[in-house]
Amino acid sequence: MGMKIIFGIEALEGAKSGIREAIDYARSLKDCRYADLRVGLVETRTASSENGNPKIAREDVHSSFGVRVIAGSPQTEAWGYYAQPLGKAELGGRALWKTLRQGIDRAYQRAMVSSHRKQALRELAPALSPVRLAPVEISKDMVPARFEEDPRRIPIKEVLSEAINITRQAKSVSPEMRFAFLMMATGLTRELFFSTEGAELDQAYALTNATLLVVAQKGSAIPESFIDHIGSHGGWEAVRGKNVYNKSFLDFALERARDTAELAGAEFLPSTEKPVTVVTEPHFNTLLVHEIIGHPTEADRALKMETAYAGRSWLLRRLDDNEFGRQVASPLITAFSDPTLEGYGNYKYDAEGVPGRRVMLIEKGILRGFMNSRETAAILAQEPNGSMRATACHYVPLVRMTNTVIAPGDRNPQDILSEVEEGYYIVNHRIPSISESRENFRMSAQKVYKIENGRLTRLYRGGGITSDSREFLMSIDAVGNDLVVLPIPNCGKGQPMQVMRVGNGGPTLRGKARLTGEYTR
Amino acid sequence: MRLEDLRECVQKGLDSVKQEKTEIEVFASWNELVTMRLNYTSDIPSGGLHEPKSSQFSGIAVSSAFSNKGKTSLGFGSQANELRPRGVKEAFRKAKRGRFYDPDFRSLPSPMGSPTLVDYHDPAILDISDEEAVDLGWKALEGALRAFQEAGIKESIIVGGDVCILKELVAIKSTTGIDTFDVSTILTAAITTMVEKEGVKGTGWATSTKLAGFDPALAGREAALSAIRTIGGKRLPPGRYEVVFGSQPITDMMANVIAPSLSLATVNASNTPFLGKLGQRITSPNLNIYDDGSLPGQIGSKKVTCEGLPTGRTDLVQEGNLVGFLANHYLGRKFSSNVATFVPRNGFRFHGLGRTYEIQAGVFPTNLVVEGRQEATTEELFRGIREGVYIGRIWYTYPINGLAAGDFTSTVIGDSFLIKDGQISTPLKPNVVRINDNINRVLQNIVAVGREKKAIQVWSAEEAVIAPEIRVEGVRLDSIAAGTA
Repeated sequence: MGMKIIFGIEALEGAKSGIREAIDYARSLKDCRYADLRVGLVETRTASSENGNPKIAREDVHSSFGVRVIAGSPQTEAWGYYAQPLGKAELGGRALWKTLRQGIDRAYQRAMVSSHRKQALRELAPALSPVRLAPVEISKDMVPARFEEDPRRIPIKEVLSEAINITRQAKSVSPEMRFAFLMMATGLTRELFFSTEGAELDQAYALTNATLLVVAQKGSAIPESFIDHIGSHGGWEAVRGKNVYNKSFLDFALERARDTAELAGAEFLPSTEKPVTVVTEPHFNTLLVHEIIGHPTEADRALKMETAYAGRSWLLRRLDDNEFGRQVASPLITAFSDPTLEGYGNYKYDAEGVPGRRVMLIEKGILRGFMNSRETAAILAQEPNGSMRATACHYVPLVRMTNTVIAPGDRNPQDILSEVEEGYYIVNHRIPSISESRENFRMSAQKVYKIENGRLTRLYRGGGITSDSREFLMSIDAVGNDLVVLPIPNCGKGQPMQVMRVGNGGPTLRGKARLTGEYTR
Repeated sequence: MRLEDLRECVQKGLDSVKQEKTEIEVFASWNELVTMRLNYTSDIPSGGLHEPKSSQFSGIAVSSAFSNKGKTSLGFGSQANELRPRGVKEAFRKAKRGRFYDPDFRSLPSPMGSPTLVDYHDPAILDISDEEAVDLGWKALEGALRAFQEAGIKESIIVGGDVCILKELVAIKSTTGIDTFDVSTILTAAITTMVEKEGVKGTGWATSTKLAGFDPALAGREAALSAIRTIGGKRLPPGRYEVVFGSQPITDMMANVIAPSLSLATVNASNTPFLGKLGQRITSPNLNIYDDGSLPGQIGSKKVTCEGLPTGRTDLVQEGNLVGFLANHYLGRKFSSNVATFVPRNGFRFHGLGRTYEIQAGVFPTNLVVEGRQEATTEELFRGIREGVYIGRIWYTYPINGLAAGDFTSTVIGDSFLIKDGQISTPLKPNVVRINDNINRVLQNIVAVGREKKAIQVWSAEEAVIAPEIRVEGVRLDSIAAGTA
């Protein structure tokens, strides 16, 4: 304890005057309609261990900035961006001002060139339009990080010894355990957002998390592996159980390791050609909601901006031909995205300085809204709802899920199960494969149990479900009251790909889907 | 940034922290990724070149092995955006503070042969202006739109994708004798187009390590023509089919399922379908797979790895037999024995934006080459197929039940056709077919491997796959999205 903080998030305090100057400079540029600057700093301690041996111990401090500029002639205004890291020497006074000014110049230059090219190509491409941002209320605010045990006060040796202890114990749960790996980190992030419209935001958050990989093998059978993640927007206290699972990282890892060892001796799930009754539990539904409700309700995806990468959305074919106001799910399904909830998608202002708020996506089965940005809100003639985020300041913000969930119903999950004469209980998400417009999915589960006369009987591995998304959502006939918002640490989107943390959740659901499993072997 | 500055930084930095009984390696990198991301939609207001952007990264990493009383402790420290000796000192302090005993660690890398690929970058790419870079993006868009115009298509057009420019400079010096540097330049254009009301999607690629001859307009045009070719697609009943996979699906399967299984990283985790199969047959005898980071003109090529060792060819599968795994120095030493050695040609510090100082070297492919022992012409590849499917682009390919199980799934999203009597016939409607199969079975059921190859990079991967078309029998295809596609 009592370490000297050499280059930490306090360093950003002195950066504010340089950022204001840079914003003033952007305002002075000819035909520059808008600019914003994000400057961030992350301090983390990261450690990893496998099978009780140390592998990584790192203390990192990263700072970077990103500039967005809209400039050009009024009919062809275009985006220009620039980003780079900031070193210790660049974070204060004139050095920062100089670096930011150079960044603004580069972004401005790109926007101006692009605006000219847009003009030249308009005959061939009549839909080329100037960038428009939906208006928002301008905010000035400071949001402090919340934690009990300051991540900066945790020595790297302590982080490492925690990781070592966890993998040593996880490896020992059974003779079948072949591999236990854990990567854990604790840290603080602070981000400043200033814009030519006058926004001045200073937000910070703590993050403590771990990703676990366990592999077990029984004899010469196919090894069984499982990856899972635990964490929260908190300090070191998360390791001891102050997280959404209410479990210490150790207990979480041991539970996953025991499950994996048990599964190594289980049968592979047989697949079915026809849909069967499935009850999906909250951990599985976390990923299900992410893939078939969250992603297709991101406005940039719906507006085809992700066509080359993560795909489109079956919910919007054209601006005048879409599913708004139509039934896309069972009337029992209500889904929303809410950054004010606790979870990995929690924040007060997004990366455009827009206050985050609850967005109703599906209400009693009817499509109601999309998560959006200021630009996509302008195109859709909707109000911005504060859903733009970037993994770090040197990335361009994208429309992102926040805490995107299916709302809880009123059924006891146990009752939902006990009413099933014959069916399958789908437990813990594993890997998703989703079709291009999110209209179909195949998703694997860690465990699948046969349900017979309301009771769980046989355990299977290597199984999952597949269905067209609408068909599955429409088939839901029971929704549990057991919603939890779980962390999804690795949502990939954009080019270059950004890996983002989001919160997702869904209570216990009962519906119909085909089982996937052994027919592929 | 000048290479000379990086070299001076590692030289002076190493001198400033050298001490007895300690192996030290200093790694310095600077890179810039310039991305011109396209978004044109004919029926929705759009920007055309939506994101002209770039990001730079530079910094120092120090790896140290501290020996004390016969035990060696390993430490790693890095310093962001600092390319001066004082940054090396700070990174060294972090390495020392966090050092630990790792029983698998043997030593830091030592020199191992000479690189064969030297001076292969293009100075014109290092010096490219913002205006030239932005122009490359607009050229890709124009190439696609001109092709649509020539075909009389004005509505329901989507053009997406990107043109990327990656510039990388690294310098490495160590007390174990490594003293090297590398400069690489990469250009890629990956363009996707759609005529949405027809439900068709097409793709076009261009890759190069030199600016001269790089033609993003051609990639745009190829993408548009590819979409146009598949207008009028039909659905397919579920079943097992004889399939000819195009270069992109082979690339996607390689990047997401096969290459990770051929790495010592997954051997280390007991999480590969090829565990314990070294020397055994794992694919059709007509298949060879190797990785070669020293191939001239290929975008996955480097002079040296991020451990300062020469790149080169690593044979992985020869005539169907598993003969090797991709290795870095750390895992190569851990797993080498008197019956198997693993040459560390694949230790890279990739993080999605080029080589980075932030992390230690993991195991990454460079240029993965897939070839046949006997290779077929396109005509020979299709000959004898009475009813089959040509699959030209797949998406979201994942080892759905974990890597070791080999099960994978994927959806067919464009560039695909039905095959009738040995000929390409009706287009296959995009987004209505899901592949559900097992990679072991697909590799065993290869019927023929094409001669023509294409270098392709998949989204977010660092490596290139130089992939032929491959014919496989009995591939399980399911019909999906009856209500929405």
